[in-house]
Amino acid sequence: MADASIEFKGTSFTLSVLHLKTSDLADIRADLVNKVAQAPDFFYLVPIVVNIEKLDCSIDYQAIKTLIEELNFTFVGFTGSVTKEQRKLIRDLGFSFVNTTKVNTSQKAAIVEEVVTAKTEKIVEAPQSPLYTDKVHRGQIRSGQQVYAKDQNLVIIGSVSAGAEVIADGNIHVYGSLRGRAIAGAQGHHKAQIYCQKLEAELVSINGNYWLSESMEQHWGSPVYIHLTDSELTSSKLI
Amino acid sequence: MARIIVVTSGKGGVGKTTSSAAIGLGLALKGNKVVLIDFDIGLRNLDLIMGCERRVVYDFVNVINGEATLNQALIKDKRVSSLSILPASQTRDKDALNKENVGKVLEDLGKLYDYIICDSPAGIEAGAMMALYYADEAIVTTNPEVSSVRDSDRILGMLASRSRRAELGLDPIKEHLLLTRYSPKRVEEGEMLSVEDVEDILSIPLLGVIPESQAVLKASNAGEPVILDTESDAGKAYQDVVDRLLGETVDFRFLVAEKKGIFSRMFGG
Repeated sequence: MADASIEFKGTSFTLSVLHLKTSDLADIRADLVNKVAQAPDFFYLVPIVVNIEKLDCSIDYQAIKTLIEELNFTFVGFTGSVTKEQRKLIRDLGFSFVNTTKVNTSQKAAIVEEVVTAKTEKIVEAPQSPLYTDKVHRGQIRSGQQVYAKDQNLVIIGSVSAGAEVIADGNIHVYGSLRGRAIAGAQGHHKAQIYCQKLEAELVSINGNYWLSESMEQHWGSPVYIHLTDSELTSSKLI
Repeated sequence: MARIIVVTSGKGGVGKTTSSAAIGLGLALKGNKVVLIDFDIGLRNLDLIMGCERRVVYDFVNVINGEATLNQALIKDKRVSSLSILPASQTRDKDALNKENVGKVLEDLGKLYDYIICDSPAGIEAGAMMALYYADEAIVTTNPEVSSVRDSDRILGMLASRSRRAELGLDPIKEHLLLTRYSPKRVEEGEMLSVEDVEDILSIPLLGVIPESQAVLKASNAGEPVILDTESDAGKAYQDVVDRLLGETVDFRFLVAEKKGIFSRMFGG
């Protein structure tokens, strides 16, 4: 195949959209600096789309982009329901224009309002882990058995035998020996952790980072928890 | 109601048939009515170990297919009259059995006997599943080495999920661990898993530990279950297993290597 090395696919992402209500750059900067100060880690390098539909045409697009980038956001492009001419102008200036799904004007105001409030609430919550409920399994998990806790933490009251596999989208707790495989944060969750009373696992994995038995020598046979620090698996003694 | 006990292991060659024969005969010697069923269709062995291979006319599959009655197929043991053997077919394969028909045979046998011992084939395929499906209790036969222990673990998972008791949500199958071919000397030398190691991994109650013994091979070849060899360690250990199955509390023997005394050193034991 000619293009075996690459492939284009469409995927939906949730992007933060910054709605501008004024073209006064000094005001925008002051409010943004204020916002970022509340949760600097959360905003760092966050991709931002700027909605300019409330502004008139005479705005300095380049200045807005520069401002956004100075505050350590990643600038993606502009959006909003604007005239064809304005859209063309934005493109001609070398910026990308992100089309949104059409909504009628009466709904639009409400939605914009919602987006803004939702966003302010999110600032407080976002840095925390998602809240998972627990799936509790009583008894030993035998060789050849597999238990998956979808969108949940997995609690096992018993041991996990060699050749068994326990998987959770959240954390995994083993009140017994972990001798099989444990895969936490299976759908991508870098704060997932694995706890066990005795580490003798064949494999542990968090958010796609894994260790085979040979990497566990330090705490082999001990009660430990395993977590990610800067995309590196780390084990720490529980007691 | 008869107690249906499956003797199973996952792995082959660990001593399922030897144990079935010894335990079945031991229970019968204690005055119980016992039937031993060979579920290893196509690889018939139990009749050899029991010493009745020349008396097989009809087999389990004939009964399943309605070609013979139970009475025609059951072989009465010549040593103990309360013991019978239902041999496997040597010419068929394991697909000859199905749940309904096996259930019917077990139900009929349940009216005649106190204990039904099912000698399972190795593996986790249809034959082994059939042997464990109707069980009330399971004797998981394990050698003290890692592959046997892992296979036993797999079978324990099957007992907990694929049996009739699991499917109907009844009380789970009562599991017993039977450790065979145990050599305390090799355990001390670190060449073999210890009883504690195996118990730790499988975490089911220990029913017995059968020491590695020359008597077992001799007994198999002679068609005399080793429990009849009351002088041998293995025979004594199987006797303990039978007593424990009958609810007695018996101390475990043969767990430590014998220290050679001065006399045995002088006269070569």
